[in-house]
Amino acid sequence: MRIPILKLHEYLLITIQVEMDDQTALQFQEDLLNKIHDTGAKGVVIDLTSVDMIDSFIAKVLGDVVRMSKLMGAQVVLTGIQPAVAITLIDLGISMREVSTALDLEQGLDKLRLELEG
Amino acid sequence: MDIQSCVEVRNEWDIVSARQLGRNMAKELGFGNVDQARITTAISELARNIYLYAGRGKICIEPIDQLGRKGLRIVALDNGPGIREIRKVMEDGYTTSGGLGAGLPGVKRLMDEFSIESTVDVGTEISATKWLR
Amino acid sequence: MDNLIVQMINENQETLKNNWLKEVNLFKDKEIASYSTTLKLSEETDQQFFELLIKHINYHDISKDGTLDQFFDQVLHTGLPLKYLTQGLQIARRVILNMLVEAEMEQEKLAALYREIDSWLDPILNRVVENSSQIWERTVSIQKTALLELSAPLIPVFKNISVMPLIGSIDTERAKLIMENLLNGVIKYRSEVVLIDITGVPVVDTMVAHHIIQAADAVRLLGSTCILVGIRPEIAQTIVSLGIDLSLFPTKSTLQKGMENALEITNQQLISNE
Repeated sequence: MRIPILKLHEYLLITIQVEMDDQTALQFQEDLLNKIHDTGAKGVVIDLTSVDMIDSFIAKVLGDVVRMSKLMGAQVVLTGIQPAVAITLIDLGISMREVSTALDLEQGLDKLRLELEG
Repeated sequence: MDIQSCVEVRNEWDIVSARQLGRNMAKELGFGNVDQARITTAISELARNIYLYAGRGKICIEPIDQLGRKGLRIVALDNGPGIREIRKVMEDGYTTSGGLGAGLPGVKRLMDEFSIESTVDVGTEISATKWLR
Repeated sequence: MDNLIVQMINENQETLKNNWLKEVNLFKDKEIASYSTTLKLSEETDQQFFELLIKHINYHDISKDGTLDQFFDQVLHTGLPLKYLTQGLQIARRVILNMLVEAEMEQEKLAALYREIDSWLDPILNRVVENSSQIWERTVSIQKTALLELSAPLIPVFKNISVMPLIGSIDTERAKLIMENLLNGVIKYRSEVVLIDITGVPVVDTMVAHHIIQAADAVRLLGSTCILVGIRPEIAQTIVSLGIDLSLFPTKSTLQKGMENALEITNQQLISNE
């Protein structure tokens, strides 16, 4: 299973809408880094509105993706994390403080624009 | 509803089926959506531990009713190498697999009750309960 | 129930009633008068109480027609103390036993009648206690829910800015509720900034601070910013002396300062019309 990555000007947009197994998560990591390399994207928005569970493995993959993308010159914003998901992450002791977040896709794009231009 | 359901954990996809089973049972028992997420996440952590450290094992989920108090219990069983230093694995940030080290202490925080029994070279049994509020 | 007692009770009803009323009044003067003056401890209630008891002795069944239960409920709902009912029943036991003793019958017979009376009165007593504890439990659970509902409202103030005023002490259960209300509210009102006002929280210890930090972290995961306001001097002192690190998110001394900060973050301004 592969998660589709859309390109919009200099940004990449990903909406995760499947229940992610470990393999899908790792495949996504690889695909995204390749896409950043190919397109020279400056910003990435990963929308998690439909994701109803993030365990420590997926959290680690997401955190890694953010750091790796940064190394390649792309800012990542995670958007749409649901309250129940946020609460379980906090219970797990994962606060992802170094990761940039926004309420939804739209605000995520605004945030990227602000960070990249301002 | 009072029969326990088990999922064999042998590969990564079994982790997904274990947590789907858990979510369905939690929903059926009437847990709110935050507790459903807590239960699903706890199952995911336990199933992944089995897959990573024991290779195979099983996750059993059962509704419980103690003196009218309803809840859901997750039991994770394996015949793997066992855990040498239980105190260490219950510390935040301790990991031997390169993960976040949030697994077991995280499960303990996600659930209301937690117990672990492990014998080196014999296996591990972890039981965790969430009560219906 | 032994017909002999029923008969004796019926025959001596007037004496029993007078003795009972006398003792009940003594008890009321001593115990309940100080309880509350607004309570209606009318003679009528006493009369009704005794008559219902006699009526149910004749029925041989305490739950028959439910009037006794109804009376107990009514008494408890008017706020009369439970001990009025329990004492009333104990006094009834005493006056009936006195009557039997005065009747001068054989020891064995007397003992049997004692047991008879106990077996008749005990279920009533149990019923009263049961009813009243049910009423209590219900009241407590209603109040608990009401308190929880009250305890953490998220109020949208300006576009994309909400405030959660916290009042009273924060325990783990309440912290969970605060977290859920806070996060659901952030989504519902699309709040880019939430101000948590702890002016009304009497003590901020390590645990309370931990809960607040977790809430702020969760708010951040959702993509919103949390500003902690209402930090009084003594709270600032305890936070620092306990070694709690709140530097990860913005804090302000007053709600007003926090609001100015929130308007700045959301690119809004208050313009005076003067």
